Amino acid sequence: MVHQTLERPAGAGKPAREQGQPRRRYRYGERPGLAYLFLSPWIAGALVLTIGPMLASLYLSFTDYDLFTTPQWVGLDNYRRLFTDDPRFLASVGVTLRYVLISTPLKLIAALAVAMLLNRVTRGSGFYRSAFYAPSLLGASAAIAIVWRLIFDNQGIVDNGLSAIGIHTGGWVASPRYALLVIVALAVWQFGAPMVIFLAGLKQIPQELYDASSVDGAGWWRTFRSVTLPMLSPVIFFNLVLEMIHAFQSFTGAFVVSGGRGGPSDSTLFYTLYLYDNAFSNFRMGYASAMAWALLLVIAAVTAVLFGTSRRWVYYAGDDSR
Amino acid sequence: MRIRKHPGRAVRLLAVTAVGALLATVAACGGGGSGEDGNVTIRFDYWGSAERAKATNDAIALFEQANPGIKVESSFSDFGGYFQKLATQVAGGSAPDVLQMDYSYVREYADRGVLAQLDSGEAQVQTSGLSQQLLSGGSVDSKLFAIPIAQNTQMFSYDAAQWEKVGATEPTDTWKWSDLQAAAQKVTDGTGKKVYGLNDFGGVLDWFEVWLRQQGKQLYTEDGKLGYTEADVTAWWKLSDSWRTSGAVTPAEITTKIDGTQENDPVAQKKSSATFGYDSGFTPKLWEQYGRELTATSFPTDTGKRGQFAKPAMMLSIAQRSDNKKAAAKLVDFLIHDTSAGTALGMSRGLPADEKVRELVGATLQGPPKAAYEYEQKVLATLDTAPPPPPKGAGEVKVAFQRVYDDVIFGRATVEASATKFISEAQRAISS
Repeated sequence: MVHQTLERPAGAGKPAREQGQPRRRYRYGERPGLAYLFLSPWIAGALVLTIGPMLASLYLSFTDYDLFTTPQWVGLDNYRRLFTDDPRFLASVGVTLRYVLISTPLKLIAALAVAMLLNRVTRGSGFYRSAFYAPSLLGASAAIAIVWRLIFDNQGIVDNGLSAIGIHTGGWVASPRYALLVIVALAVWQFGAPMVIFLAGLKQIPQELYDASSVDGAGWWRTFRSVTLPMLSPVIFFNLVLEMIHAFQSFTGAFVVSGGRGGPSDSTLFYTLYLYDNAFSNFRMGYASAMAWALLLVIAAVTAVLFGTSRRWVYYAGDDSR
Repeated sequence: MRIRKHPGRAVRLLAVTAVGALLATVAACGGGGSGEDGNVTIRFDYWGSAERAKATNDAIALFEQANPGIKVESSFSDFGGYFQKLATQVAGGSAPDVLQMDYSYVREYADRGVLAQLDSGEAQVQTSGLSQQLLSGGSVDSKLFAIPIAQNTQMFSYDAAQWEKVGATEPTDTWKWSDLQAAAQKVTDGTGKKVYGLNDFGGVLDWFEVWLRQQGKQLYTEDGKLGYTEADVTAWWKLSDSWRTSGAVTPAEITTKIDGTQENDPVAQKKSSATFGYDSGFTPKLWEQYGRELTATSFPTDTGKRGQFAKPAMMLSIAQRSDNKKAAAKLVDFLIHDTSAGTALGMSRGLPADEKVRELVGATLQGPPKAAYEYEQKVLATLDTAPPPPPKGAGEVKVAFQRVYDDVIFGRATVEASATKFISEAQRAISS
């Protein structure tokens, strides 16, 4: 990601060379100063809002820091405590893993399915695309999470609906068994962003391949498996990595639906929620920083593993010709 | 060619300067000063309901009238959110000048140097008219860091009309826990489980505290250790658990949503006919919101000891880093001692702490606050002195008590295992 952003403004020097005065014969990329000027808002943001705080939190993760008094250096104590002396930490890891493993595939399947349907729609496709994309824009907001909480609450719409057909669940939000599913559903409902990317990917698949497969007498399933999936695999991979990272970092839904407590009975105690609780409710900012870094390392490791496996199943068209 | 490179470097320099300037502006904006022309603006944050906010705004308006040079900006949120926000603000160096403080957090903040001392120095506030019993609740190591604006006490409230209808025996001054159980069971049975007798009380540390005190124990010892053992927690949870099994108290999916707000109180939703609470919960519009009148009485007891105490419910503190401690002290003084402010605030924070204000306010009350006032006057003589502020981590212990109790009511762990888990969590919380 960082790489891409850096390259784009560097290319902006190109037209200047073409139209510009012949005396200044800057070669491509030889005027870094100008690039930095255009980059400066981003660089300022990255330094002040991302890299600076990250380094600070790395330092704090080795300290005992209660937010008010000077941090005390404790070495690796926080990290040691995470794994040896904190049952709630392990509980939060369990909840988060469950969430990632359930919500990511469901969301991608929903996104792909709807994208394939929309790919066939010719009339009003813009409208449908916007309609399905809307939840992605709204979904991150606390307001939607509140609505979600009400819908799945005791005597909410879902509970009343199910009761009408004789299924009494007593509301999902207040049940340790179903509460996590409410948040999963909230995540899946926001399938719009990966859907749009899938849709773009589908449009890129050459029609000849479909024509060829239909001439060969392939059925829908065979075409899907042998043409659509392989051709789409780079996009699937991209969405998978992105959505998985999002899922690991998920916070708002759990925070709002559980009223900030991760309940009932810690069944929605997301990693980030526990981190937040430690940092801001229980005055353990150093410990919370250690948690944040542990999460970063885990996400990095899982992403690396995904990239490792990608060679086996991600197919880049044109690779053969290189 | 060497010269050619210079413009590039100059532009780079320019870029860096531009960024620097930008940051400097941002930093300057963050500073936000006041104090021009002798006018100061102080911030006052508190937790509470919209009703309390209305009363508070009235009192603040009176203060601003009386002190033309001081402007007060106030904001409020719910209890949990308030303390999360406060911690962040304090860490970021933007704590409000005047802040509402809770008994269970006084030590946490005072020990860490966040609060200004109120019995000497710039932020001194006079304490005449306040009882020593109450002031001890805001003192840490015999220095005053928080002044109680109101006192409240634990109370049992119930829907007397409903109890009568189902034939439940009304509470008396000498009623026992088993009497409550029988009455609650009657409500549940009499309404066919439409209305449960009582909110499940097992997960609330404050009610556990009363029960402990009835047996001569306490929540925290003088030196800040736990004043009870696993056996006490087990006994308490066994009690409430058996009531839940029989239906006398609310079932798990209702109980887990109790969070101290009126909206989520099962009594408000007519799913329960009674609850333990604090008398400050009897806010002026309560009966309209709940759609029925509630009657206040004291806790049941098996030992003859009441266990209830005069609690400095809400206290006011001044931030150590406030630039306007004098103005802040004026506001605190006004809110606590001024009779017009007292009238405006009414019972919105509980029974006024200042005796002069208390008498005045008591005479004007109506509805729920009047019932709370009369209740408090009735039990005042039997109340114990408030224990000293609990140790650091007490707020976390309180939350853990309810959370671990969730395991019990959802049948995810036995009472014994949960008690063990809670004690180890509690010890961890107050030792670190």
